[in-house]
Order: sequence, then C-alpha cells, then structure tokens
Amino acid sequence: MITLIQLQPGITLRCCQDSRFKQGLLSFQFLRPMQRQEAAANALLPAVLLRGSQEYPDLRAITLGLDALYGAGIGAAVRRVGDCQASGLSMTFLEDRFALPGEQVFAPMVDFFQSLLLHPLLQDGVFREDYVESEKRNLIAAMESRRNDKTVYAMDRLLQNMCRQDSYGIPRLGEPAQVREITPQSLTAHYQALLAESPVELLYVGACSPEQAAARLSPLAEALGSRSGQPPVQRPFQDAGGGQWQEAMEISQSRLCLAFATPVTLGHTLAVPMRLMNLVFGGGMMNKLFQNLREKMSLCYDISSAYHAGKGILTVTAGIDAQNAELARREILAQLEACCRGDISELELTGAKEAMCSSLRAAFDAPESMESYYFSAALSSMDMDVPEYTQAILAANIGQLSQAARTLRLHSEFLLKGEPK
Amino acid sequence: MTLTHYPRLDEAAYVRRLDNGLTVIVSPKPGFSKKVAYFAANYGAIHTDFLLDGEDFHTPSGVAHYLEHKLFDLPGRDVSEEFAALGATVNAFTSYDMTAYYFSTTENFSACLEKLLSFVSTPYFTQETVAKEQGIIGQEIDMTADLPDAKSFEMLAEAMYAKHPLRVPILGTRDSIAEITPEMLTLCHRAFYAPSNMVLCVVGDVEPETVCRLAETVLGSAYRAPGTKQTDWREEMTCPASQAHASMEVAMPLFQLGFKAEPLGSGEEAIRQELLGDLAAEALFGESSPLYLQLYQEGVIDASFGGGFEALDGAALLVCSGDSWEPEKVRQAILQEARRLRAAGIPEKDFARMKRSALGRRIRDLDSFDSTCFRLCACFFSGFDYFRFPEMYQQITPQDVQTFLRRVVQPERCAMSVIFPIEQEDFQ
Repeated sequence: MITLIQLQPGITLRCCQDSRFKQGLLSFQFLRPMQRQEAAANALLPAVLLRGSQEYPDLRAITLGLDALYGAGIGAAVRRVGDCQASGLSMTFLEDRFALPGEQVFAPMVDFFQSLLLHPLLQDGVFREDYVESEKRNLIAAMESRRNDKTVYAMDRLLQNMCRQDSYGIPRLGEPAQVREITPQSLTAHYQALLAESPVELLYVGACSPEQAAARLSPLAEALGSRSGQPPVQRPFQDAGGGQWQEAMEISQSRLCLAFATPVTLGHTLAVPMRLMNLVFGGGMMNKLFQNLREKMSLCYDISSAYHAGKGILTVTAGIDAQNAELARREILAQLEACCRGDISELELTGAKEAMCSSLRAAFDAPESMESYYFSAALSSMDMDVPEYTQAILAANIGQLSQAARTLRLHSEFLLKGEPK
Repeated sequence: MTLTHYPRLDEAAYVRRLDNGLTVIVSPKPGFSKKVAYFAANYGAIHTDFLLDGEDFHTPSGVAHYLEHKLFDLPGRDVSEEFAALGATVNAFTSYDMTAYYFSTTENFSACLEKLLSFVSTPYFTQETVAKEQGIIGQEIDMTADLPDAKSFEMLAEAMYAKHPLRVPILGTRDSIAEITPEMLTLCHRAFYAPSNMVLCVVGDVEPETVCRLAETVLGSAYRAPGTKQTDWREEMTCPASQAHASMEVAMPLFQLGFKAEPLGSGEEAIRQELLGDLAAEALFGESSPLYLQLYQEGVIDASFGGGFEALDGAALLVCSGDSWEPEKVRQAILQEARRLRAAGIPEKDFARMKRSALGRRIRDLDSFDSTCFRLCACFFSGFDYFRFPEMYQQITPQDVQTFLRRVVQPERCAMSVIFPIEQEDFQ
C-alpha cells in the first residue's frame, strides 16, 4: 500500500513500507517537460552531481562513502513518462537490520544523498569545468552507443521520424548537439532553477514507516523549499504525418520496425483491452507474431510488439533477412487483421489476462519494480488502484480486444537494411 | 528434507537428494507472490566430447544450445502457450557449462512445475523439427554476429585459449549446427539430462515437500548415471595471441581485456577463489580503486567500464571491458597498477571496506529470485552451498589478493580484443 505525504508544496513523498526485502530504495526526481531545449541538460545534471560534492569531492570519495554504507548504490535516473522527463538520482541500500549492531544505513544514506544534491563541488560559483566537460563526453558517448544495439537503434530511428513534432520523438537523454552547447555556467543556472521551482517526486520502498521516512527526508524538503509548479501536462500524440524510412548498415541481420497510431490512450475505455490485445498480438508469451512469423514461417529469430499507452502508439520490431522484408511486413499486417476480425481464441485471451495479472502481482515483489510502477502511475495519472486495475483486466472480452485493434492504423515504417561487407 | 538456516542472511534452504539422483533445493520466501523454479543440467556449450556406456563421442559446437531449443518442441503441443495459459513465463539459456530451464509465476505453481519437469525430461526429435530449427538458430547466429559485446568476447576467448572450448561460440556456427541430427540430440539428452546430473531449485512461498513429491512423480525413482565429460583440456597459462581486432558498426572503439587464471576446481576452495578473484578485480580496477579514478578523470574510460572474475568448468579469467579511444593505455595502466599493488600491498582498512561493500552487495542481490536461483544452481554444480558466502569472505586476506595479482596479472597471461568503428579501420 502506498502512502502519499506532501513534504512541502510541490515536493511529494510516496512511501511503500515493506520489510520483506533486504534492501531499501529511494528515488528523487525533478519533473520537467520533455522539451528539446532542456532534455540534454536534464540528462547531464545527475551525472555531474555524481562527480563530487563539498563533502565527497571526487569519484573515489563518493565510492568510498558508498562502500562504507555496505556497498550502497547510487546512480543517475533519467526517465520519460509521456511528455514528462524525470531527472534525478536513485539509490539502493542494505536495510538496517543487516548492518553490524549499532550501525545504520538509511539515515547516513539520506545525508550522503543530500550532500550530493545540495552541496555540489563548485568553482567560482559554477560546476567544475573538468567535471562538466568530462560528463558531456560520456553522455554523448552513451547517446551514440545506442547505435551498437541494432534493435534499439532501429526503434529509435522509427520513433524520431514518426514523432518529429511530438515530444516522443526527442530521445530520452536529449541529442548530442544540445549537449555540446552546455557550459558550466548554463548547467549551474539550470540546476539552480530546478532546485528553486521544479516539482519533485520522492519515492521510498523499505522497512521504515511513512512517518519515519518523512521525518528523515523533511530536512531535505525544507532546504529545497516549496514550489508552485505543476507536473508537466500529458498531451495526445502530435501527428506530423507518417512515412517509410530506410537506412543501410554493414550488419548480418536487418531490422524491420512498424508503428501504428491509435486514439486509445491512458484513461480511454479501451485502454486495458488495448494492452491485452497487444499481448495477444506481439507482446505476450504465445503471441501471434511469434507463433506465425517465427515458428511457422521461420522468417525471424525475434519479433515483438509494444504499446506506448501515453501516446497511443503500437510498435513492432523484427529481426529478418532483408530479402524477406516485404513478406514479413505483409504477415505482420495479416496478424493484426486477425485481431481486428476477433480471431482471438479464449486460450489467447486467458493467457493475456493471466500474464497481466501475474505481472502486476510480481511487480510488488521487488523494490525496483514497485518504485517503477508507482512512479509511472503517478505521472500518467492512472486513475485506478491495483484492485480496480485487476478487475478491469479480468472483465475484458474478445469483442473489446478486436474493437481496440480496429482503432490502429499503420502510420510509419523503418527498415535497417543489412548489407554485406 | 534437510533444513538449514542462515541467520546472517535471513535465509533458509531445504535440500534433499532424491532416489533418482536429482538434488532439490528450496529457498522459502513467505509473503511473496512470485515463485521462480530452475531445472538445470550440469552440461553446457563446452561439453562437446564425452564418454557414455564405454563409448567416446564427439559432437559439433552448438549442440547444447540446439538441444535447449528443441526441448520446447513437443508433438501437438506448444510449451510456451501452456505456461502462458497458467499465467507463467518460461524460458531457458545455455551457458558454457550449464543449461537451465526456468519459469516464473504467481499462480498455479504446482501445475507449472509439473510441466517444467515433464517437457525438459521428454526428448522428442525428428528430421523435420531439427531441420526447422536450423533456420531459427541460423538467424540467432546472425543477430549475435551484430552484437559488438558478443563479438568482442568471442575474439578475446579465441586469443586467450588454444584448447579450451570457451574459444568456440555457444551457438556454434552455421556449418557446425548443420551437422546436428535427431540421433545426436537424443544421445546428448540421454548423457546429460539424467536427474543425477541435474538440480531443481525453487525460490518462493512454496511447500518444499510438494516440490520433492512432484519431482519424484514426474521423473520417477530410477537412478541413471550420466555421461562423463571430457574436460582434460590442458590449457597453458600463456595466451596464444595478445590481441585481436575487428571493425563493426559501432560509435566508438570497445574493448575486452582478460587475464588467464588457473581453473577453480570444486568445493569450498573453488568458491573462495571466486570471491577472491572478485575482490582482486575490485582492488585493481573497481570503482573505488585509485586506477579507476585516474583513468576516468583522464577520459580514457567512461561509465561503460566494468569487470570482474569469471569462472567456468576448466577455465577462469579476470576480465574488464568498456568503450575507449585508448584501449592499449587501459591495458598498460592495469599492468602497472598490478605491479604497484604487488609491491605496496593493500592496507587492512581498505581491504575491510572492500569486503564490507562486496558482502553488502551480495546480500542485496538475494532480493532477486532469478539471481538467487542461478547462483544456487551454479554453486551446487561446483560442490558448494552458495548461502555460505559470508563465511568465505571472512577467510580472505589482503595477502591472498596480492598473491593472486602476482600470479595472474602478468603480460604473458593477457589478451585484448578491440572492435573499431568501420570508418576508423585505419586506427587498427
């Protein structure tokens, strides 16, 4: 069960008290609109904060500090939920009961985090130039290394093209060109603006009660002070028109990606049937795409679909031989057509329902998945609690799934074509 | 079943060896919905040569992985579909020395466990089904060929090992898998999927006796001895080549660097050496090491850098990897730092801090059911109870790490593989 506590106006703490785990988790996120002009700065800021603070002036000091806390982990957390980019830090740490007698972990962990967040190492009032330049290089390398994974790269290219007038087309970490423009001065000013005005989400999973967690985090909230900004508004997909794009690479296996648009998004009456339909179509264990394109036709090794509920986009990705691209494309559309016709068995429906319910139950068996669930739910304004959500899943029927499928229209395509050396 | 408590970890484990030779391990997790079960064979990609019923057999590379795929293919049945109908996910993997089949579920645990035991122990291979898999695994080989990390490790293993089959990809090649026949798969299944060569491990809120009862019902009580793996590779500790490189569609060069260590054997000493190897890696190039800070601040490595100690049947290596425009500089820096640590030693206070951190991370990792199942299975095959790792950490000294570094981190034991971007082939 989740408890919501307003530490300050604009600073929200969500607590899940749970003593089953060996580790606790605390995440801190500034909530920002996903916009090209600040996406890269939001991605860079946590990395620079993790380079040093007044109390822990370099990487080694930070790691030694974490070692002393029984190998606690802290890392940059830069996420996207629809039109919101969340930027901050996430930490995991051993629960106090596993520490040596007389020692604590959670309390000093909060102090450690507060040092990194509020007392960064500055030079002449701005972030150190060597730290900023170094992390800029690392961020650009991380952006460009997405090219190494062809599955990820091909989907990135599809969404960048399809969503060129929507925030969904902006890469989660921003773009290299924006990173290069950042200076220590501009990043420091951005950091101070976030500290002063950005809505903040804190999420805690662990053995402490909500009151204990709130007491421990209140000094941080007081230091930040209240803010009047609201979380970013979620907007429908801004359609700039579809298309077909292609790129060649020296790779063995080509990747075919298709994207479909639908008016069914979060809050729509068909939102849950659409999720179930996606599992039947290409997202679940016994999905139609896998059974037909891989098992029956041997057209691909991997194929799957994903439903991006915040924007009403359904994507398909498949690893294929280039010569089979058109055949694979036709068969993907044929399987979607089957869903539109209601050609979905009771077994397929039951399997999809069981998968969603099981996944929901299992989400509450680990701190990371609990945090992720509640964070996404908060930002997407999901208006159902878990029992309601489960009930909606179980109540869905084949007619609703086929109705959801019929709202999908093919919008964009991308082919990463493998060419031999 | 024998119940052992591990108060330091707040864990418990039930263990029993059945009449058919199967060992069952259950780690109870009251209050959790999720249940994970691993049914693993002590057989992996490197075990291509073996003795069975007095006869020598030599199978092509990729057989263990091929067999793993084919066990999901039963006449008139779709195994994945059956698990999905129960709300469970099922999957499998083949590593160099283990093949594991596992499911995860929150409901219908007994039904899922029966299915897992049943389909893994039911060999069914025909010309038609084996031929169909050629195409699918062929595409998996192609997909893997485009993965720079996989390619990089493949090249490293080939550079480091002259004889050990770690130098051969787990999936095999298109040519090697073309040699696989239904008879060959049946033979390998008979040799290595006897219950006496397997372990069943369950983590979750389950009745341990139920797990044993189902295993006995499905697998029967007859004992069958497994095949004998030929593992006498007699690998020298020097590397056949010190460097390998290739070019691929990558954004910047990426490297993998390895140092050969003596194979670990089995039992308590093996797990102690494994933990020692991890601590040595941490001392040498871990995130709290002076070397990591130096290389990161110089821009020679970035956040992609990491490493540790890897051990498998007949081989062990210290390995690190990452993206870098100057991989050779990383190699030289590591060799130099090893010389410094050998001479100066590791202060007791620093070592105590490292052990505390390593212990804390391993305890936290027990929250992952999958990771816990995997480690329990792998350590079982090495003759060790994984939950005893805190005791092993207590035994390791700074001098142990110094001795390890002196022996292992030497130029002649080192090889490096680098993947360069295609447009920078001239840099090779």
